[in-house]
Amino acid sequence: MYDRKVVRRRRAALAVFVVLSIAILTAYFGESRGGFFHTLQRGAQEAFAPVETGASRALKPVRDFFSWAGDTIDAKDQNADLKKEVQLLRGDLAEAQTQLRDAGQLKGLASLREENYFPQATAPVTARVIARSSTVWYSTLKIDKGSGDGLRENQPVIAAGGLIGKLTSVTGGTAEVRLISDGQSGVSAQVFPAGVTGVVRPEVGNPEDLLLEHVESGRRVTENTLVITSGFTSSRTESLFPRGIPIGRVTKVDLDELETYQRVHVKPFADLRRIDVVQVLTRKGVAQQAASVGETGG
Amino acid sequence: MILSVGAVVRVGALLLLAVVLQLSALSQLNVFGGHADLVVLVVAAVAYYGGSVPGCAAGFSAGLLLDLLTGTTMGASSLVLTAVGYGVGRFREVRDPSHGLLPLVVGTLATVGWVIAFAAVALMLDIGARVSPLVIRDMIVTVLLNALLALPVFTGCRKLLRPSLAVDPLEVRRRRRPPREAGPLGLRGLEI
Repeated sequence: MYDRKVVRRRRAALAVFVVLSIAILTAYFGESRGGFFHTLQRGAQEAFAPVETGASRALKPVRDFFSWAGDTIDAKDQNADLKKEVQLLRGDLAEAQTQLRDAGQLKGLASLREENYFPQATAPVTARVIARSSTVWYSTLKIDKGSGDGLRENQPVIAAGGLIGKLTSVTGGTAEVRLISDGQSGVSAQVFPAGVTGVVRPEVGNPEDLLLEHVESGRRVTENTLVITSGFTSSRTESLFPRGIPIGRVTKVDLDELETYQRVHVKPFADLRRIDVVQVLTRKGVAQQAASVGETGG
Repeated sequence: MILSVGAVVRVGALLLLAVVLQLSALSQLNVFGGHADLVVLVVAAVAYYGGSVPGCAAGFSAGLLLDLLTGTTMGASSLVLTAVGYGVGRFREVRDPSHGLLPLVVGTLATVGWVIAFAAVALMLDIGARVSPLVIRDMIVTVLLNALLALPVFTGCRKLLRPSLAVDPLEVRRRRRPPREAGPLGLRGLEI
């Protein structure tokens, strides 16, 4: 009834593909970012970039149609949220303007240099999203700008005025963004203006609720305060990002029974589920240099 | 499935189209937090019409392409999709199904297998952060959307793969139908 040859061939095929997959997995984990499989990945992404860009542009009307339906449903809730936010921001603005004036005077006195501050030290490069990871377990985007536009690994990426992630891989014409909602992400942050520091980590599957962890004990965080990148360069919470990029607002603080540990919930400013256009914050000078090289070269 | 250059080109083009469509359009269309997953449906369709060996080959290739283009851990998607392709192919070989609505069930079950197995692999390999219970909602949305898409996707894949198929399940169903009764119209059912 069973042809042994067919059965053997079938089993051999399954074994070959499973062993190949496991071998690739093992090699991928074992190698550095410059290894064979990582290079292959970057090569494939570069080769397929024109196809993905074309497909993304061609299918934009379809995406827009479905997004419009979703946006219409969400609009009422968003309107109420935004009204509350405007009220909060008015208060914050008045406070910030006063502090800014004081800070300007103090900086002048102390001769502080603004080397790594957002937005002064950064030059944004605007890019369009051409692809997005296909499962809920990974939150990555691919954008249509690359090293030719001055982009480098680890540069911060913002959208709608808030941090959304950083560049993890850059090719000539594309770059990959790991969102702050990705399971491997961690951003050292500071609650403003209280100054409490911690690390913003995601809760995988819920991009609207980030968690501020490793909060200094003994310092209470209050609701509705602003969370920004800390910009520390030498501490337990070392930051890759310039200081001052807005991340989100504290929505809830859970305290344990002894009130020694606080779980701080942060709602990001950017809608991490719907991103079409992003800005990569290059260091001032790098993007302009790349642009001028492109102009003279072209 | 008859192994030929034409068959390989057809399946390759189908998988490439599915992966590009998935990354450039479907992944960005949010419906209650989740989105449809075309790649697993196409792999299941190839396995359903082609059998277990083409199924696991298609699963491996689609997974590898997906991992290459998304920049995620290479080998994870190909491992799970290989298993999905083989499972659907074996089901077809053992049960020899021919019901017209079966692609809906096969597509849905393949998606259930894919989301659960991929979640397990991702949790073991990469995820160090807390996991929200909303992940389950997103997985259910993906399964429901794929159930809606299963019939048109399987029909499209069948049409494209038909020249390379050794056995077409729909043809088998037609052959199994009882022969039509002959004789003049007025005499049918009178047993004359």
